Amino acid sequence: MSFWQKMEQIDRRWIYLAVAVAVVVPFLFPTPLPISISPEARSLYDAVEALPDGCNVMVVYDYYPATVAECEPIAVAALHHLFRKNCKVVTLTNIPYGGPSMAERVTRRMAARYGKTYGVDYVNLGFKYGYVTVLAGMGQSIESIFPTDNSGTPLSQLPLMDSVKNYSDVSFIFEVADNATADYWVSIVNAQYGVPIGCGGTAVQAPKFYAYVASGQFVGLLGGMRGAAEYEKLIGIEDVATVGMQAQSMVHLLIIGLVVLGNIGYFVVRKQSKKGAA
Amino acid sequence: MRTTIPVIVAFIAGLLVVVSFFFRDGTIVGDVKQEFLVWSSIIGGFTLLLGVVSIVRVNMATVARKKTDWPYKILTLVAIFVMGIPALFPSSWSPLLGTASGTSVYDWLFEYMQKPMMSTMFAILAFYIASAAYRAFRARSAEATLLLITAILVMLYRVPMGEAFLNMFPGNISEILNKYIMNGVNMAVQRGIIIGAALGAASMSLRIILGIERTYLGKS
Amino acid sequence: MQTGFFAPGSVTPKLCKRSDRLTTGGLCLYCVVIVNFGRVFTRKTATLTFAFLLTPSLIWAQSEDAPLFRADRINALVFLVVFSAAILLYTRWARQGKPLFLRKIAGLDAIEEAVGRATEMGRPVLYIPGLQELDEIETIAGVSILGRVARITAQYDTPLMVPVRYPLVLAASQEVVEQAYIEMGKKDSYDKDTVRYVAGEQWAFTATVNGYMMRERPATNIYMGAFFAESLLLAETGNAAGSIQIAGTARPEQLPFFIAACDYTLMGEELYAASAYLSREPVMTGGLKGQDFVKMVIVILVIIGVLLATFGAGDWYPQLFEAV
Repeated sequence: MSFWQKMEQIDRRWIYLAVAVAVVVPFLFPTPLPISISPEARSLYDAVEALPDGCNVMVVYDYYPATVAECEPIAVAALHHLFRKNCKVVTLTNIPYGGPSMAERVTRRMAARYGKTYGVDYVNLGFKYGYVTVLAGMGQSIESIFPTDNSGTPLSQLPLMDSVKNYSDVSFIFEVADNATADYWVSIVNAQYGVPIGCGGTAVQAPKFYAYVASGQFVGLLGGMRGAAEYEKLIGIEDVATVGMQAQSMVHLLIIGLVVLGNIGYFVVRKQSKKGAA
Repeated sequence: MRTTIPVIVAFIAGLLVVVSFFFRDGTIVGDVKQEFLVWSSIIGGFTLLLGVVSIVRVNMATVARKKTDWPYKILTLVAIFVMGIPALFPSSWSPLLGTASGTSVYDWLFEYMQKPMMSTMFAILAFYIASAAYRAFRARSAEATLLLITAILVMLYRVPMGEAFLNMFPGNISEILNKYIMNGVNMAVQRGIIIGAALGAASMSLRIILGIERTYLGKS
Repeated sequence: MQTGFFAPGSVTPKLCKRSDRLTTGGLCLYCVVIVNFGRVFTRKTATLTFAFLLTPSLIWAQSEDAPLFRADRINALVFLVVFSAAILLYTRWARQGKPLFLRKIAGLDAIEEAVGRATEMGRPVLYIPGLQELDEIETIAGVSILGRVARITAQYDTPLMVPVRYPLVLAASQEVVEQAYIEMGKKDSYDKDTVRYVAGEQWAFTATVNGYMMRERPATNIYMGAFFAESLLLAETGNAAGSIQIAGTARPEQLPFFIAACDYTLMGEELYAASAYLSREPVMTGGLKGQDFVKMVIVILVIIGVLLATFGAGDWYPQLFEAV
């Protein structure tokens, strides 16, 4: 069997090993490179920057714990920006598996960093079942869907919620999603109530969201860890996403190398087969 | 009766929600949607409970009959009860109880066991995509070649190292790719699929409301 | 929990506004008309008469300070009427026996062949109706196709394995599969464990199914429904196990993974068309054709918009489609 024929039938575990090495090496030998800002990320940043200081904003943690590596840097960068502008942040989640815990942990950590007070500067509404019900219901009354916050405190006892009754009291929604709930935010909230929405999501979802950005239904888009890194650059903080881009670069180049190698092997083997047949 | 009543309920509920979309909030018709949404949220909560009951029932049955892999089912049941039961009690009784961040058993198990396990499974995708790309991205035809070249260019421009490589060539290739590939061809295709899928979903919804589609009742 | 439906402190619906009294009275009158006069006139005549009487009343109600009807959503109403009319009209024509053409969908044609392959190899068929709840349209489509696949596996006596993620999907799938076996006269062959509740969590489900694939090596894997990040894990493992794979999902972001790893892929609305395509029932095919008619209308509207925008004369055009 020739080298190229062996390459055609290579055990996939060698590929897995190569990927593992490509991920680990950049952490041992970091090579930071400049990250350019995409128009979509710039547009989202500008939209948040243009918000009046102290306005009410909703930050939605619509991602599962599995995609924490891609989505949490986006949420963290968003909270940096919003808390710097002294925005009042209302967080919620439509993800039952760990969504409320992640929302609680990330928001409290960031709020502590900026000296924000719970109930006055930020509130975590938690989770309620049925995202269509939740999104549609909050249009009329947030309290009808979330009578209490995540820890069981009635909304009437939280000063911030006196001024946030429904979507008309919210200036902006920052949606961090790894699933199709982002589509429902567009079709239910943006389409029916006109609230501007900025979205951060996994890189897998990002190609779909370009359609929403082009039509103005999303004011901007952060796609995966790259999007988070761009936003970190815009707000002037180098964090997890910026560091992670080095590993992502190596893996992308590895995959490209494998694809090129695979195609060379494909053509060589095909040529050899034709010669053999002839 | 077993089929008729659910179909009637589906018809009335579906029709009322659709009609109330066109009426102002604050009127009796406009508010009926809000009422139904609240009911739906309450009923939906019970389905979560149903899930827990079902998984306990199924696994206990497997353990009782000592079917295949029954020791793993015991592990499943232990995990459910260890994580679920402490979370049911108020945190005022003990910091270990409830779902309080940083102190409760529930939060600890979620943060240090479930979250890493879920992240690991998702991270396996990186290995799988590499092997899938190596196997599938072959220039077997003109379309496959176009797919291959586009994929390579997009993979390059999305990472700093790739961008640095593309910047060695004249012209702003990254900007061209973003404008014509991501915001051009990709966006058009995604729009087409979204519109098609939305129409399909709307058609299916109409069939469910009118009682033509009854698969949700277990009837084909 | 305050909503607008009930008057404060009451369990009866509020009827304080003229528009509320009007609509409540109108609906009651409609029921009376339909029940009673339907015996004298046809229901169609009664409905049309009622609409004729109601229209000026609605116009009168609109003159209140806060109008009853959301006139800003009239474009959505027009679309809804056109869409519903198209679906119902084509369904009616299909019922009357008018032949309706459906193009070939390779993935669906391959299902019977794939099940036949599994029968020859003596290995099972794995069918996953998606990883969403039963209230999702994609899951309903997936369960509907399961019924068709179960008929084929019943016919060939091929083992079928259906792992599910939610209890309601378990119940619906069990009924559908059992009914399929009964209809094919193979009730004795039906195994209650064919449809199994695996796990409620996405990755636990994926890990279990992957383990099953590597141990049992099903000859055919069919994925029809809503899938998320696990799509590539499932498809790639199935590929490693040597299975022929047919996938269908309406999630555009998962399509590339299925296309890369599966032999056939149904894209977007082809999943919703599958039920109609496989059954060829007039009601289903009629609905499909109606959908296509509406799509054609959208295409024409898009072309008009493109031409107007190209010649700089279409500033007013997008406003026709603004949703509020």
